[in-house]
Amino acid sequence: MAPTTKSTGKNIEAETALQAVVLADSFNERFRPITLDMPRCLLPLCNTPLIEYTLECLAVAGVQEVYILCRAHSEKIKNYISTSKWNRSHSPFKIIPIVTPEARSIGDVLRELDAKQLISSDFILISGDVVSNIHLDKILDAHRTRKNIDKNLIMTMVVKEASPFHRTRSLGESSIFVLDGKTQECVHYESAELYPHKRNMIMDMEVFEKHSNVQIRNDFVDCQIDICSIEVLALFTENFDYQDIRKDFVYGILTSDLLGKTIYCHIVKDAYAARVRDLQTYDAISKDVLSRWTYPIVPDSNLQEGDSYEYMRGQIYKEQNVSLSRSCVLGEKVIIGSGTEIAENVKITNSVIGRRVNIGPNVKIDGAYIWDNVTINANCSISRSILANNVVLEENVIVNKGCLLSYNVIIGPKITLPSYTKLTRHKQNLDYDDYDTKDKEDKEINQLLHAQNIKLVKDNQKDDSYDIKLIGENGKGHIWNDETSDVEDDDEAKNIKVTTLAYDLSNLSFTDDESTASVISEGSSDEESDSDEPSNLEIFSKEVAQTVERAFSEGHTIEIASLELNTLRMASNTSFRDTRIVVIPSILNQINTDKLLASTKDVLTRWGPLIGKLVHSKDDQTDALFTLQKYCAKTDINSKIFAPSLRTLYEIDVIEEDAILEWYYDERSKGGVGKPEIYSKIHDVVYFDSTLLILAL
Amino acid sequence: MTGPRDLNAQIESLVNRLRRRQVVGSWSVSLETALLLRQVVSVARWNQVNVLINLVKDVGGKLVMAQPRELAVGNIVRRVLRLIRDVYNSEVSNSNTNLTSTSEEVEDDDKDYEDDNVIKSPPQKSKTYDLQSYSGPGSIISSSFFSSSASMINLLGDGSVSGKEASLDYDRKCYNLKPTIISELQELINELENMYVNIADQAMEHIHSNEIIMTVGKSRTVEMFLKTAAKKRKFSIVVAETSPKYLGHEMALSLSQAGIDTTVISDSAIFAVMSRVNKVIMGTHAVLANGGLISVSGTQMVATAAKHHSTPVVVCTGLYKLSPLYPYDEDSFNDLVAPDPVMSFDEGELIDKVTILNPYYDYVSPELVSLFITNTGGHPPSYLYRLINENYDPEDTVI
Repeated sequence: MAPTTKSTGKNIEAETALQAVVLADSFNERFRPITLDMPRCLLPLCNTPLIEYTLECLAVAGVQEVYILCRAHSEKIKNYISTSKWNRSHSPFKIIPIVTPEARSIGDVLRELDAKQLISSDFILISGDVVSNIHLDKILDAHRTRKNIDKNLIMTMVVKEASPFHRTRSLGESSIFVLDGKTQECVHYESAELYPHKRNMIMDMEVFEKHSNVQIRNDFVDCQIDICSIEVLALFTENFDYQDIRKDFVYGILTSDLLGKTIYCHIVKDAYAARVRDLQTYDAISKDVLSRWTYPIVPDSNLQEGDSYEYMRGQIYKEQNVSLSRSCVLGEKVIIGSGTEIAENVKITNSVIGRRVNIGPNVKIDGAYIWDNVTINANCSISRSILANNVVLEENVIVNKGCLLSYNVIIGPKITLPSYTKLTRHKQNLDYDDYDTKDKEDKEINQLLHAQNIKLVKDNQKDDSYDIKLIGENGKGHIWNDETSDVEDDDEAKNIKVTTLAYDLSNLSFTDDESTASVISEGSSDEESDSDEPSNLEIFSKEVAQTVERAFSEGHTIEIASLELNTLRMASNTSFRDTRIVVIPSILNQINTDKLLASTKDVLTRWGPLIGKLVHSKDDQTDALFTLQKYCAKTDINSKIFAPSLRTLYEIDVIEEDAILEWYYDERSKGGVGKPEIYSKIHDVVYFDSTLLILAL
Repeated sequence: MTGPRDLNAQIESLVNRLRRRQVVGSWSVSLETALLLRQVVSVARWNQVNVLINLVKDVGGKLVMAQPRELAVGNIVRRVLRLIRDVYNSEVSNSNTNLTSTSEEVEDDDKDYEDDNVIKSPPQKSKTYDLQSYSGPGSIISSSFFSSSASMINLLGDGSVSGKEASLDYDRKCYNLKPTIISELQELINELENMYVNIADQAMEHIHSNEIIMTVGKSRTVEMFLKTAAKKRKFSIVVAETSPKYLGHEMALSLSQAGIDTTVISDSAIFAVMSRVNKVIMGTHAVLANGGLISVSGTQMVATAAKHHSTPVVVCTGLYKLSPLYPYDEDSFNDLVAPDPVMSFDEGELIDKVTILNPYYDYVSPELVSLFITNTGGHPPSYLYRLINENYDPEDTVI
């Protein structure tokens, strides 16, 4: 006779199988270069692969079917799943990996999932790197009761309260939720990344009319656990431009007038949930696990097969078969995997030590994450860094904070690594081209990695390709730069920088009290706006130039060209002036300098009206003249264009005489930034020319 | 037919549920364990008792490893092992008496004949075999040495159990033990199911009219005990709120709903109120071999205050909570749970700098306990060794 609980469980399964969708790809590169070798969800956190925490959470919730959506390194994930305990007969759920190699965002993945028609009812959408002890079944029930009240409910987001500078909050990306105070309906969502710094957000006034009690909250950790109705997938398919589940989907749904769907937040009070978004949260969540916030998901619960952790006083977790020397000192929050040997006079605090690690005498380790099979020789010192599998530190190596040593890197002897160094065995320039095209299809990556492995073998033969000064005589590894990303990804790069390991230390030391914190944020935002605007403008200018170029080559009419320019201008929210600055030189570039006069006249009678479309007042005209002057002042040849073009513009009524006079008497027209002599020359020419002109009329 | 694969799935399922704390509480844990072991005994194919014992030990070991803090799991496994041994021993002694009277009757089966040989052979021989397995592939000399030393042990040791000695191997083939063992197991399960009632029935002997009784935490046993007494007697109860889990609040609510005069006090007031209290009645998570308690945190304070005021401390507990383990390290049976209730997680800057611990249990030393009320009656702490000997086999202390 089977126990009664078992049989009732089967009955429920027959009715509706509770489904969960695990996103096993993060669609960002926060963990590079480590994720070149291993997908993020298989990286160890406290010596357990991240995805195990997620699956454990789903198992507790009583989920019966789990779909794992993977993209990069899909083979590794599939292999891992097929050999794990979740694939056995006594696994609490059926686990099905789905590979979506073409997907480039979460949106694409969900659209593909929708196309497969696998989901039949409300499901749990969870990221593959969530650590949580939440009882999701309760939240699911709450979702269902809410759904009975509000038929338009399509999603419940799980959030946890945490103060603004909480370690478990990602500094790089956070979000502002606007909630109805009573029902906890989310009425507005705004993502707030550190860069670009947001100073305002726009909300519909209707929000305040509909809801008497509105809370704007910036104290949530977004756990990236959502209870979704099946409509969510359909909505993703309908709106094919939705990429991110928060920035696009939630924002889009809440700001849309047509859909009328609602999204709720579930605020978790007494349970723990957080997502490993970046290295900073990796650090924080590891500490949370070691200080038992995630209970019962703690190392000494031995949730993995073969784990044998024991808790010792002072938050020390030790597996069996660890050999500790008599004189080594273990501080607080240390976890040590089995097979590790620690020699005399070693000091370890706040660290995770993996399995089969060899630590030589007089080594100091603080805040480090040392994965499996690492060898650390005598007199090394490591602080706040990650050492991936099989890293070797020769003697007397000092690893400063924020370093990231990917798989198989060898360093030393007698080397001091500067802070925030990232090292990998892969050569960056090799794969850089590939990332630049952003065609990161799985197959390509796999092939690429394969190619790199071959490359790697070659590298081993000729050691001279490594930077010996940086990593030492026996060293093996290449430096990895995050900063090589595109100009448009500048903000992203900054966000990544903020989220690197150990960044919080320097940050927190400044933000001891609120006042200085706000000053800092002011400062950073100013600095940001300086660097941000040009980059935006640059993109805009490039596009305007391309539009004008296309107009020339395809012979558009003035109306079409100006319409295109206007759309562009509105889309990027820039002024007419910015457009003029680009358009005028492009038009003038069309002029054939060999037959100067005739060509100028031709070009400007054809395209001059386009400038006219961008000029509305006298001030505009004057400004256009300055732009013209600036262009002409660049070279001697250009300077010859000035007079004829001015004349033509005058003749086609783009520029009126008042404007010319105003420009003429303006001080700036007499000497500019470029070459003063040309400026004055132009000025004089114009003097004669324009006086003639005016006199002539 | 439920095959061994199904059984394995059930074992793994319970192991996982124990690990994930989906089954919590001594009572439900032990009931699940007993049910699973009954399944193991009935499904598994065995014809020698030692095979069965090893099997149960194996399964039990997995369960204990899955949740070492729930001592009740191990206790139930030990009870089951003891029960199997007892059934076997009584069977053997019966057949032995049968053998001496009508030996020809049994000899018609060859296999049985061999087994009988083993049994008839002198006790030293079987002991030798036993020790040889310890010493590995031992030579003849060493085995003979051990045999002599074994007989020495026999001479010095408890001659009273020499009758049992023959059955130490448990390798006799038995075909008819299964139903007996299963019915005994069923009895154990019944005992578990009726446990609360059995304990509560003794309430009238311990609670008198107009007494003031203090309790701490929330215990189903104590709740039933007090409610039963309240049916006939009028008394008042002081409940310590038991922070940080505030189980006392729930307890007080439940008691007051039953019409008992209830007062909730903060934990810091325990000592002050103790002078007026006639008796402390509390539950426990586990009772250790020396009579010490593993009980919800705060209990130690109550017990110490009671000692200071010479107030008797009565502990209501089912026998299944009695563990043969000794508290060599007081920390080892404790569990640190999430520090949420002690300090909120939103205190971002603080939790980074402060170590917050939230131990769930207290160790209460046996000197502070006056009486245990179990489902078999009341016992002083000094009597526990007897209960342990009655219920568990010393061989099973380590699973």
